[in-house]
Amino acid sequence: MHACRRLFTALVWFGLSALAWASLPARSAEPGTPVIVLDSALAAVGGGEHFPVEKPAKRVSLPNVWSSTHAREDGPVWYRLRFDAPGTGNQLLAAYIARVCSNAEVRLNGFIIYSGGRMSEPVTRNCFYPQLVTLPGGLLRVEGNILDIKVQGYPLQKVSSRQRAGGLSEVRIGPQALLAETHATQMFWNISLLQVITVATTVLGVFLLFLGWINRQEVHLTYFGLLILVWNALSARTWLQNMPFDNGTTEQLVCVGFSILTALVVQFLLSYGALRSRVIEVVLLAQCLLVPLSLVLAAPQRVFTVSSAWYLLMAFEILVMVILYLHTVRRTQRIHFWPMATMLGLLAALALAERAIQHGWLPLAPVHLLHFALPVMFTVVGLRQLKSFGLALQAAEAARNSLESRVAEATAEMERNYVQMAELRVEQVTEKERKRIAGDLHDDLGAKLLTIVHTSESERISTLAREALEEMRLSVRGLTGKPLPVADALADWRAETVSRLGQAGVEVDWRSPTEDVTQQLSARAFVQTTRILREAVSNVIKHSGASHCKVRCTLGQQDFVLVVQDNGRGIPMELDGKLDRGHGMASMKHRAKQMQGQCLVESGPGYGTVIRLTLPLGTA
Amino acid sequence: MNKILLLEDLPEIRAWLKALALQVFPQAQIFEAARVHDALALITAERFEVALIDLGLPDGSGVDVVAALREAQPEAQSVVVTIHDDDDHLFPALQAGAFGYLLKEQPREHFVEQLQRISQGEPPLSPAIARRVIAYFAKQNKPQERPQNLPHVSLTDRENEVLLWVAKGFTLPEIGVQLNLSRHTIADYVKQIYRKLNVSSRAEAALEAQRLGLFRR
Repeated sequence: MHACRRLFTALVWFGLSALAWASLPARSAEPGTPVIVLDSALAAVGGGEHFPVEKPAKRVSLPNVWSSTHAREDGPVWYRLRFDAPGTGNQLLAAYIARVCSNAEVRLNGFIIYSGGRMSEPVTRNCFYPQLVTLPGGLLRVEGNILDIKVQGYPLQKVSSRQRAGGLSEVRIGPQALLAETHATQMFWNISLLQVITVATTVLGVFLLFLGWINRQEVHLTYFGLLILVWNALSARTWLQNMPFDNGTTEQLVCVGFSILTALVVQFLLSYGALRSRVIEVVLLAQCLLVPLSLVLAAPQRVFTVSSAWYLLMAFEILVMVILYLHTVRRTQRIHFWPMATMLGLLAALALAERAIQHGWLPLAPVHLLHFALPVMFTVVGLRQLKSFGLALQAAEAARNSLESRVAEATAEMERNYVQMAELRVEQVTEKERKRIAGDLHDDLGAKLLTIVHTSESERISTLAREALEEMRLSVRGLTGKPLPVADALADWRAETVSRLGQAGVEVDWRSPTEDVTQQLSARAFVQTTRILREAVSNVIKHSGASHCKVRCTLGQQDFVLVVQDNGRGIPMELDGKLDRGHGMASMKHRAKQMQGQCLVESGPGYGTVIRLTLPLGTA
Repeated sequence: MNKILLLEDLPEIRAWLKALALQVFPQAQIFEAARVHDALALITAERFEVALIDLGLPDGSGVDVVAALREAQPEAQSVVVTIHDDDDHLFPALQAGAFGYLLKEQPREHFVEQLQRISQGEPPLSPAIARRVIAYFAKQNKPQERPQNLPHVSLTDRENEVLLWVAKGFTLPEIGVQLNLSRHTIADYVKQIYRKLNVSSRAEAALEAQRLGLFRR
């Protein structure tokens, strides 16, 4: 956006500075150089091959426009200029005529030395071509040279713009080399640059037309492309010297061209601002038909008046459309407002200036301002349209990309879901299998152990079988179980321990955290801890003879500590100083070690026994 | 003369259970069954005061027998006799209307004592079962998860309190001391909890059956 604004500003500045430079008057001869400026002449009307000495001649000052001195004349008009050859030795001299309209023949001291083209209908149109006439040295006298210029042209009323009305600028006599340079500069500004611009903008116009063709809904592209092409066709009138039609037809064609141009500008603004109206389209079409009709009626003596009226109306139409467009854009698309306002304001100002020139309120500029300003505007507005087209393209591309990425995401999610489902299925199958194994264990092994429990004659065997059954049940739980909250595990342990010790007549003091226990315990850790605790409680009941048992359970950040302390007789030492294995201490320690924890037993005759189990919570 | 239904597939265990039942209910007439099918037939034929029902049977689950008995003879007391001590197995039986459970491998004297307690209206309640009951009623009380026209069965504050204590690992006598309530009062709460669990579950099951019926039509 910023880059675009910079480009736009740069283009405007380029256009304005070029205009400013071009509108400077042709550089005057430097002091000391022998260039004579002839700014007065004798003017007489008449055809023929020579200055009509027999007809009344008027002294006129140059630059002369027929409308001021020969308003009613159809021409040709002869101008007679007298000059003394500037003393430059053997230098080749030339006469430079900045503007002669429409065409001229030049005679020096009676000899024809130059012709700009056809002098009869269709007359060569040299209004924008500066003329450089080499003065043959052999014909020059030192003093009293006579330069006769026969100008063929049209009075103002027979043309549609002042630029093409008959007239002659001042004539400069000087060294050919010096004047050739001036001539080349003026040629560049009047003709070559215009031709270059025409070619360049024609490419832009064709391009926009093509874009409009393939994007039918972007109709403003079509209008703008046509607008540029019509303008370029119209501007060809300045550099096309020889038309196949006579002057009247050419002027009519130009005028019709401008009405088409106006219609296109209006249509472009309306479609660009999304304001199209059927009524306006009909009116514009009618105008395009009325213009040539009115000119046919006006011809030949009121072409300028009628066409000026039309041009004024067209300028007014464009101005109204510009205001309407800017008003709409200001409300709907603010970002378009300032660039378009600047451009169109400039356009309106130039159109008004042009009208002022045509009505004679401003002098004729040496360079046709509109011819440079408009292409710059075309370029800027065209580039803006290309930009919005490009942005739309980018947006479409972005939309496509986002769609693609959404599809990719959806696909990925589907795949993820599929993987999850597969995992879930594996989990379900595993779970089912575990349940089946657990069921089998219960049904077969459980039933057999149970039978042993209740049929064995030996109390020891039934106790062993009962313990085996409990073990089996725990193992199955470890096999099928999911992690359970530490709080639940503590509740289960408490219920069992308190109930067992209570039945055995041992007083229990159980303390464990009751609030804010959020940790989880794996099924394996639960099962192993249950076994250790069960063994410890069994020891208290069977061997200690204790009357009191304290159980403490604490949870740290990383680990979990269970302390079982009785006031019994303690565990007797074996001969090697180790604690009695019959009390199951070894298996308790082994189980704790399996869980990366430890089980410490402190005991001595008379001290009671303390069993301290520490398990890391991470692995637990 | 009271009648006792004894459903157990292992002959030795059935004999053992029969002996214990007779120890607790010396006057009783015991009807033995080894299969679900036989037990269901007995239910239609006789009126029982107590039923000892094993869960894992060759032709089905004892839970079905518990449900059938609850349906046919609401006053009969079903006691589940099993080697499964986990709530996954016990909870459905309790929902179906069982009034307590006994682990088969227990020494004779423990078993007899617990059976006596149950028959006197003091069923056991483990922390795991208590947690399941709490979770069950919590779900029932969520209006968005509760199907419409399901009769609203909810626990009283006291019943909830007892459940919470049990769930934390406190034994029923401890809770009695804690809440300053007699052993009988606590036992009554537990009985109410079992009854409400059964009532609510049955309503839910009936509704579910109706829904499935509607779908089948």
